[in-house]
Amino acid sequence: MAVNDKSPAVQGKAEVPENSAPPASADPSKAVLKTSRRDFLRGGGMLSLSSLMGTAALMSHSSDARAAIEWAEHFQKNYRLMTPEEKNEARIRLEKRYSAEYGKTVTVDTTEAQPGVLMGYALNVRKCIGCRRCVKACVAENNQTRGTRPGERIEWIQVLRMERGEFSKEKMDHGYPEGLGIQVGGNAYTPAGQVLEGQYHYEPEAVPEKDATYMPIACMQCEKPPCVKVCPVRTTYREADGPVVIDYNWCIGCRMCMGACPYWARRINVANPVLPKEEMNPVTHYLGNRPRMRGVVEKCHWCLQRTRQGRYPACVEVCPVGARKFGNLLDPESEVSLILARKNVFRLKAELNTFPKFFYFYD
Amino acid sequence: MNKLATYTLVLAFCVGAYYAAVAAEKTTEPAKEEAAQAAPAEAAKEPVVCFESRKGASEITQREIQPGWPNVKCSPTTGAALWYGDPFDGTVPMGKMPLLDKIPEGHALVKPRSEKLAILPMCGTACHNGVGPAFSPPKLPKDKKAVPIPTMEGLLPEVKDLQHGRGRIWCLDCHHTTQRNKLVDHYGDPISFDQPQLLCGKCHGDKLRDWRDGIHGKRIGEWASTGKKRWFTCTECHNPHNVQDGARNKGFVQLQPEPPPQLPMGMKDGKHEKLHPIAH
Repeated sequence: MAVNDKSPAVQGKAEVPENSAPPASADPSKAVLKTSRRDFLRGGGMLSLSSLMGTAALMSHSSDARAAIEWAEHFQKNYRLMTPEEKNEARIRLEKRYSAEYGKTVTVDTTEAQPGVLMGYALNVRKCIGCRRCVKACVAENNQTRGTRPGERIEWIQVLRMERGEFSKEKMDHGYPEGLGIQVGGNAYTPAGQVLEGQYHYEPEAVPEKDATYMPIACMQCEKPPCVKVCPVRTTYREADGPVVIDYNWCIGCRMCMGACPYWARRINVANPVLPKEEMNPVTHYLGNRPRMRGVVEKCHWCLQRTRQGRYPACVEVCPVGARKFGNLLDPESEVSLILARKNVFRLKAELNTFPKFFYFYD
Repeated sequence: MNKLATYTLVLAFCVGAYYAAVAAEKTTEPAKEEAAQAAPAEAAKEPVVCFESRKGASEITQREIQPGWPNVKCSPTTGAALWYGDPFDGTVPMGKMPLLDKIPEGHALVKPRSEKLAILPMCGTACHNGVGPAFSPPKLPKDKKAVPIPTMEGLLPEVKDLQHGRGRIWCLDCHHTTQRNKLVDHYGDPISFDQPQLLCGKCHGDKLRDWRDGIHGKRIGEWASTGKKRWFTCTECHNPHNVQDGARNKGFVQLQPEPPPQLPMGMKDGKHEKLHPIAH
């Protein structure tokens, strides 16, 4: 009986000759799918099983607004496969849920990428004074967890403090191996120029310190992101205007992306996120700063809720020295394009061929 | 099979709806209580003022634009502005700037500095007013050597040891000879304190060019190249009287950093970061 039910579908697929199939595309909207996930679940036994489990989960859960929404989220598609109507449904559902949870009107934006925009970022490493204001601005904007217990505090930007090396006459021929004098100015023990081991937990009374340089590191929004390559559920992907984003609802928390990222940019919510109601930022984007749940990975997305509406990212706006620059790489008049044209620019770990859209420069 | 699925689905929806209703009733009550408690506590607080770029320059007073939406969020540890709810708060149009014709009218904004310079209105009235023994008969200084005036040094301690130009410039290279609440350009015409870029660009032309293109300095607001932005002027970030202070290695004044990130689990301090795999 069951075989007979399925047979038309099998025959339909078999009729398509193999050589006429379009080439495989990384874009899921172009993927050839005969049945969607929803259609599949609609089939008899799976639905009854799922709904029973869902009911059980609902009954065991604490009685808040979140539980009612989780029911619908259980059947939600991957964000990239959703139709505009389904995205709108998801938006309304989340707005209702977050508004009840945080006691204020929360908006969840679903604005798509605009044509003719490729976001780019540039940072002047010579200017950075290591004050960490960008780090805290990011937390204020992007609804990260901010508890006190281990794993309850997440910051997307790390500021790396690096000591300056030294050139001194008496150490000139102290190379490695000892006595050979193979390196001029600095050696394996006291390198010249930058010392590669940096410190994240520096805490001086005042910055900038005289013998230190600072290097903020966050997501580089690579053009060829290793994290996207490894994601087993394809929940992280590159948006058309540049940023690499995450659909938090489909993240399974496997941390493959964290291992793949060469820039230490991704964070996981190992504990239940701690986000006080009064500190919560009510202007959110679905792929951006909406509150996350436990067990999902998050990272910088260039403040999508701001940049899609034309505003600078939060870190750009608070940098007291104006070291952070943001703009459209396709606009030759934009700040980032002018920096690329005029200044000395480098990418972090360029040898990995990840092609970041985050550029470091100095003048 | 399909019948079974339908029945279970109906059952599930009924249970779900019931629990949702119960949840909604419970959540409304504590929310009201919390709101009642929070209201008097906020009214008693003093207004929070935070500095924007450097201490002693432009400041911003925290207030609510909409309920739950402040114009600025300040750092509790350092008192620095951390987040802008309204980037154009308290700004005025920048006025005419050469080679900024591409930007639409009203899209380049600045925050007037003269309001924040506390002694500026007094300069031209209290002391440099053209009245008194030094001004009769009225005369201009004969040489470019600053005469130490105790009152002046008391008001502005950094002028005692001017750290700008390595001894090659003095007060009246930047300040107007007769109008002391104005700056001066190459022709001797006055420049407003709100447009210091016209003065600084006299010598720092490369920086002026980069600033005009948005590469140097800070701008907030919209990122599009013709967007509406608030421009930070030179003196909002640099103190022109001590830009060459030897205690630091940059043109920016030292300030207190924000607290460091959370330590790895089980660690008491960040000393492990200073241990290099190879001892030196």
